Amino acid sequence: MSEDGDISGMDEDSVRVAEYALGLLTPDEHTAMGTRLRTDRLLRTELGFWRSRLAGLDTQFAETPAPAGVWPRLERRLFADTARGGWWNSLALWRGLSAAAAAVAVIAIGVNIATPRPDPNAFAAQLVAALSAQGSNVQVVALYNAQTGQVRLTTISGEAVPDKDYELWAIEGANAPKSMGVIPINQRVDVPVKSDVLAGFGPGVTLAITLEPKGGSPTGGPTGPVVAAGKATPI
Amino acid sequence: MGSDTAEIADLIARCALRDRGAFRDLYGRTSAKLYGVTLRILKDRSEAEEALQEVYVKIWQRADRYVPGGFSPISWLVAVARNHSLDVLRARKPRSDDIDLALDVADAGPNPEQAAVDSGERSRIDNCLGQLDGEKADAVRGAYLDGFSYEELAARHKVPLNTMRTWLRRSLMKLRECLSA
Repeated sequence: MSEDGDISGMDEDSVRVAEYALGLLTPDEHTAMGTRLRTDRLLRTELGFWRSRLAGLDTQFAETPAPAGVWPRLERRLFADTARGGWWNSLALWRGLSAAAAAVAVIAIGVNIATPRPDPNAFAAQLVAALSAQGSNVQVVALYNAQTGQVRLTTISGEAVPDKDYELWAIEGANAPKSMGVIPINQRVDVPVKSDVLAGFGPGVTLAITLEPKGGSPTGGPTGPVVAAGKATPI
Repeated sequence: MGSDTAEIADLIARCALRDRGAFRDLYGRTSAKLYGVTLRILKDRSEAEEALQEVYVKIWQRADRYVPGGFSPISWLVAVARNHSLDVLRARKPRSDDIDLALDVADAGPNPEQAAVDSGERSRIDNCLGQLDGEKADAVRGAYLDGFSYEELAARHKVPLNTMRTWLRRSLMKLRECLSA
């Protein structure tokens, strides 16, 4: 744009980022800037600058009591419909989040996807956990179905490693990790929860995945690096 | 205000741990503000109400993206509401990328000043906008607070689109300089 001939270099970028923060870019420009921001740390710092400075205007949004119907609808949507695919919606969410997370796995316990359960109390026992580990690209989602007694693992990312196997562990409190067996990393798989592990299954249990020698840990306890781990909490 | 900020940050952190009681408290304490945001940008009650609901769904689902000590917690919530409203306004499919980036800002750079977004930041932006021509400052406010596009801003200020674009871009450069000082 000829009128902007006096804007160049970092100034140009800064103005561009400010326009992005303000929402002034066309959809194509906005997407292009989003792509640049993803890989350019300096630009992200610039975006942080503009957002924090512009946030000084936030006081000018006048508080207006929210309509009474919003909260009940939110509660129904977030907390009562969970069985009917809310969880899988949030799977897409986790996928979105995964760009930033080194590794994410999610565990839900007591989910019954097939049958809607209108009693909200029935979900009090439902658990979720985000598992992550620095420096690993393994991302797995794990769902525990109490009716089948199985944990379903779905890999979001991660590759098999030659001559190595991934092994799943359940850790209850200060107890030693209990092996749930070797798991494939590129396919969906149902892992039965054996009775010795089941006893400790509940809120607070940690699931962890380690990289072990072929065939699994030779010692019965984890020997390799943890590639994803996290604690189950009620949702 | 300081303890308020800390309490809201704490509620967001507890939402990340799936604490429904914390989510209810957070809604109680912040929904009037966020409704103010969706209403101002969308300028339609039923759209703003619908947007408010979506905003809190995002907050519940993505509370773990808030990093305490970065963006002020209320600014973070406002950013989620504002970005969602802009998406609705421009009638595009929700830019999930944009939301992700909004949430990433907190750890985008080690900028200790970001923690103090409250009163200091307000007077700073007011002061810097005050150094622009009145109309140009209004255009910047219109873009941020009302979500006006370049086209709308040009129409409101009765200038050609390219003129508005040049105005605003030059104003942003001046603002950048003043806000960095």
